[in-house]
Amino acid sequence: MIAYTVRRLLQMVPLLLAASFAIFALLALQPGDPLDEVRMQNPRITAEELQALRRAYGLDDPIHVRYAKWLTRVLQGDLGYSRTYGVAAAEYIFEQRLPKTLLLSGISLLVALLVAIPVGVFSAVRQYTPADYIVTFLAFVGLSIPNFFLGILLLYLFSVRLPEAIPGFPQFPTGGVPPLLFEEVRQGIVSLWEYLRLWAWHLVLPVIVLSTGSMAEWTRFMRASLLEVLSQDYIRTARAKGLAERVVLYKHALRNALIPIVTLVGLAIPGVMSGAVLTETVFSYPGMGRAIFDALVEKDYNVAMAALAFLALMVALFNLVTDLLYAVVDPRIRYS
Amino acid sequence: MATQAVNTQARSFSALFWRRFRRHKLAMVSLTFIALLVLVAVFAPWIAPHDPFAQPRSDDLSARIFAPPSPEHPLGTDDLGRDVLSRLIYGARISLLVGFAVSFSSVFVGLIMGALAGYYAGRPLRLYLGPLRQERGGWYPLGFALWRVLSWFAFYGLIYLLGQMVFGVTHLGREAGSPLAWAFFLLGVGALVWAAFWGFKGKAVLDLDTAISRLIDFMLAIPTLPLLLVLSALLRDPRVAFGAWIQGALGDAASVFLIILILVLFGWLTSARIVRGQILALREQDYATAAQALGASDFRVLFRHLVPNALAPLVVLSTLQIGNAILVESALSFLGFGIQPPVATWGNMLANAQEYIFMAPWLALPPGFMIFLTVLAFNFVGDGLRDALDPRSRL
Repeated sequence: MIAYTVRRLLQMVPLLLAASFAIFALLALQPGDPLDEVRMQNPRITAEELQALRRAYGLDDPIHVRYAKWLTRVLQGDLGYSRTYGVAAAEYIFEQRLPKTLLLSGISLLVALLVAIPVGVFSAVRQYTPADYIVTFLAFVGLSIPNFFLGILLLYLFSVRLPEAIPGFPQFPTGGVPPLLFEEVRQGIVSLWEYLRLWAWHLVLPVIVLSTGSMAEWTRFMRASLLEVLSQDYIRTARAKGLAERVVLYKHALRNALIPIVTLVGLAIPGVMSGAVLTETVFSYPGMGRAIFDALVEKDYNVAMAALAFLALMVALFNLVTDLLYAVVDPRIRYS
Repeated sequence: MATQAVNTQARSFSALFWRRFRRHKLAMVSLTFIALLVLVAVFAPWIAPHDPFAQPRSDDLSARIFAPPSPEHPLGTDDLGRDVLSRLIYGARISLLVGFAVSFSSVFVGLIMGALAGYYAGRPLRLYLGPLRQERGGWYPLGFALWRVLSWFAFYGLIYLLGQMVFGVTHLGREAGSPLAWAFFLLGVGALVWAAFWGFKGKAVLDLDTAISRLIDFMLAIPTLPLLLVLSALLRDPRVAFGAWIQGALGDAASVFLIILILVLFGWLTSARIVRGQILALREQDYATAAQALGASDFRVLFRHLVPNALAPLVVLSTLQIGNAILVESALSFLGFGIQPPVATWGNMLANAQEYIFMAPWLALPPGFMIFLTVLAFNFVGDGLRDALDPRSRL
């Protein structure tokens, strides 16, 4: 198992190098360069001065040499500065954006999981009953609704229409994050309770939108997985022994049916970190997805590169973690 | 006879399939919906009540923009006074075109890649032979071993690029006289000289399956959505040669073609994986061995005997992928990186509507619901196909 892990980690290195080079090349190929802004702010700059700047920034090197320089810098722990925000790219991504994304997407993942597993079990146990059909239908609806449309719909209903139509109906915020800093809680200006309540209030709609898709997918998956296990011989044996249905279901069937879910959740975690551009756009939530999107639009390539390379690393890492976890929960699987 | 004869008449596969598919009520409803949508899309110029691009003249502008639904404009008008229903009908053309084109092309590419990977798994292909290696046989299309010579160029080209990297990275450090930079530089140059020498006499054996599977892993490791954005911006930009060329050749339709291209680039991965797995299992079957023993070529065994048996899950996958492509296209257009106005698509209509959601909420509902219903319909049809073709699969 340790040898397997080491081998996989070593295999990750060329994969990540190739992936980061591909992203770097794509960004470097984009028309326009960082000097466009210099040219715009100072139209009287001469061609020689521009050329000197170009050389100083290393912009006249070929792409692969620039990539090699970027990589050397990154390996020394320097991700560069954000041109638009004037802070270190690492600080911007890992301190300002990542925690907010982890909060939103993490809660959504938990909600999706906590709904999907019981509903999937319920639907599998009552296979081919009206309840099962309703759950299946709803799962299809959840899979098919574009989350940006669901977001707009909820925003319109719960922040505008219903509070207008029904007096006393709670008005949900139209997006963003609470205008409070944790610092204010520490200084006693607002109570911790109020702070948490405001956060929760802002997160309700985005969490609903973000969890819908995975909730629907996992419900279907859980149902299929449990149905497959329930048709196994050892379940018949357990029933023939006269075990209570409850014991058969929860002790024998469910634990085996949950194994494939581990894969799904493991592979979803990098997605949690990459944020959700669409949901974040609709709710103007300052998360990773929006950060990457803005960095691409603003050509803030240090930020874009750092974020994308980090995400590629996470995808590769969680692929490995998922495979290893699979062996932990299912002793039949051995890696050699 | 006393007992009723059991109907043992043999049914063709398609008749059986149709019987099973018909039992899925929602799939039947969805199929009807899709058929209607296709008709509407095809006959859009005759069905649409107005020109989807026509803007009212400026003298009556205020009365015509943001008009709520009325008999003349059943779904109202947008911020430029254009008829929403007509734009919706024309949008169906784009969505269906993108959906079908992306799904079929990516399943086709995936089929070829997956079939090659699965069939040649574990059978090494020599992709590179050093110049010193004397070996007979191989491919001589132009009188010399073309592939070998190309692979030398690839190999030594790579060494050259790596060399430039080593020089470039250590350049400043070496000028400043840093011993660390010099050490790194000498180490890198040494390694490259060794690799060049090794490549001169040696041979590298690469499995075609490993190459394709690694490519898939690699593409799955890149965060997709940002990459779609970058690619779409890059290929669309008229300052880039490709962007200028395609804009000139296709005009407004360029962004539609680009979206299809980009979605196919990332869409073939799933089907390739599925086909690879299928072929891997099928090639061990007796009939494959029999075909090989009869002297059939690899190509014939693969595409005549194995691939037709691997198609069932692909039919389901391609249906689901149509819905997915429509969803991704509308998401990209929603973000402004997809199909560009004035071409009407449900995604960019929704993006436009979001800006005016508080002022003209009726703008957001029609495109949103059309995306939703179309994707839902394709998902149900996919589910029906899965039940009818292979009830055990869990795709």
